[in-house]
Amino acid sequence: MTHIIEARNVSVTFGSGATKVEAVKNVSLTLAEGEPLGIVGESGSGKSTLARVLAGLQPPTSGEVLFNGKPIYKGNKSYVGDERHLVQMVFQDPYASLNPQLTALSAVAEAVRIHDKCDRKSAEAKALELLKSMGIASMDAAKKPRQLSGGQRQRVSVARALSANPSVLLADEPTSAIDQSAQAQLLNLFRGLLNQGLAIVLVSHDLGVIRYLTKRVYVMKDGVFVESGDTETIFNDPQQAYTKELLASIPGTLGVAARKKLQG
Amino acid sequence: MTNTTKKLLQVTDLQIGIPHPRRETLVIVNKASFDVGYGEMVGIVGESGSGKTMVCRSMIGTLERRGAKVLAGQVLFEDQDLAHASETTWKKLRGKAIGYVPQSALAGPNPVLTIGAQLSEALKKSDTKGTIAEQSKALLELVKIRRIDTVMKQYPNQLSGGMRQRVMIACALASNPKLLIADEPTTGLDVTVQAQIMVLLKEIRNEFGTAIILISHDLALIDDVCDRVVVMHAGATVEVGSVSEMTTPRHPYTVALNQSRIDIAVPGSELVTILGNAPSVGQWPTGCRFAGRCTIVQSDCTSGDHPPLFGDRGAHQSACLHADLLKGR
Repeated sequence: MTHIIEARNVSVTFGSGATKVEAVKNVSLTLAEGEPLGIVGESGSGKSTLARVLAGLQPPTSGEVLFNGKPIYKGNKSYVGDERHLVQMVFQDPYASLNPQLTALSAVAEAVRIHDKCDRKSAEAKALELLKSMGIASMDAAKKPRQLSGGQRQRVSVARALSANPSVLLADEPTSAIDQSAQAQLLNLFRGLLNQGLAIVLVSHDLGVIRYLTKRVYVMKDGVFVESGDTETIFNDPQQAYTKELLASIPGTLGVAARKKLQG
Repeated sequence: MTNTTKKLLQVTDLQIGIPHPRRETLVIVNKASFDVGYGEMVGIVGESGSGKTMVCRSMIGTLERRGAKVLAGQVLFEDQDLAHASETTWKKLRGKAIGYVPQSALAGPNPVLTIGAQLSEALKKSDTKGTIAEQSKALLELVKIRRIDTVMKQYPNQLSGGMRQRVMIACALASNPKLLIADEPTTGLDVTVQAQIMVLLKEIRNEFGTAIILISHDLALIDDVCDRVVVMHAGATVEVGSVSEMTTPRHPYTVALNQSRIDIAVPGSELVTILGNAPSVGQWPTGCRFAGRCTIVQSDCTSGDHPPLFGDRGAHQSACLHADLLKGR
């Protein structure tokens, strides 16, 4: 299996002296082509920082990240050459990541125009198609973010990320700000993208979503991976106390089983 | 529970609208009916925009601040009708018999007041014994905050999200309310913190007999902690019943909600999504407001008024004309 992304001994440190924060400590990870991968942890565990490192947005303090075998960071620059667009990110709050003055269509069309270097007309045609594949009808495509529902906004951000034809999609808590039914819709779309061969890194604290979508998972706490492996195995037989606690906190059926195990 | 037992709260045919000086009044809640018994934990579930927050605002008298008002119906809280209470009545009531925990834990507390000042403000109106400092400490102890003396002097930004939400719960409990309304209290918090807050709410209910309304869009969470569930769609209550009754839902919307649950789905399988979007406020169709998204829609669903809740109050109620079609599903 070829690794599309490989992180080797990555550490990220913010600040210095008394305010020094070690967000990520000596972490190594691999992502195979077309693989659905999960990174799970609580706020402050460093999972978002790690995602930003993988996306090329945050140079690591030490260690290296390889994309298709080539290091992506050269000094403060990342993804040199034409590979930059192959890793795209979807952020937690779709309202904050979309320009409030642009309609859904122009937000996506602008991204298409930059990536495809085409004229506005063909960019809009492609954007409309992308939005349609994300379940946004042309009527809704003419709306601005504030006129769209949370779920629709998040699907517009995914459409915008897809405009670059990426091979990896990094999604940082994509479902935490939306309704249950909108979440189901988004996850169905993600599943469709996986079938088309896109690799998805899902960063989340929602273990239900992780279990549903990913095959392999890294459990992160205080900047390090405490446990990693096959998602199903970890759900059925967690080894670390922290993982057990996380599982027991899931509301509903999944948590009930984990709680029984924890007590029994 | 029979319908003869006295209820703490009875909401009947509540209608809430936003008046407009030139255009027609925009109705945002219509046909909302449910009860909350003494010491009962009731979950209200529904999509964003289904009116769950507005219904709760009618119980704490903050509708008018949002430009909305009760148009018709009753909100009986221990024999007192809150639906048509005046602002002077509200000044006496608010923050006393009904406590409210707002949605956003991070934005909830006043950022320029210390936790101690925040609590003493909440305690001003209460008539319990002891100095305000003693009472504040007792409240923080109640919501399981450690290092109480330090926390009292701290500002909200120095606390974590879970701690801030605990402080908000402490403020809401200041006057020893009979009813506590928690509006999506754990949105944006970690699962482990969410689990702790839920344990805390359950303990408060068990210890003080406080009735709790938990608003959430997470059915799994409601299943875990609540006794009864109220399902709202497009401004109406479409199904009311106990948590166990909800395992055999009698409204197609609840069926769909149940099916879109991630915790019971087989990993990688197609998730059932609810067709389309809920009709926007002001664009409600005639007949059942769910008809446009319904999988068992019949010809008589799209005419007349939105169906009322069928069945006895207190029993398993559904607002579906064709609930029988759901049997065996």
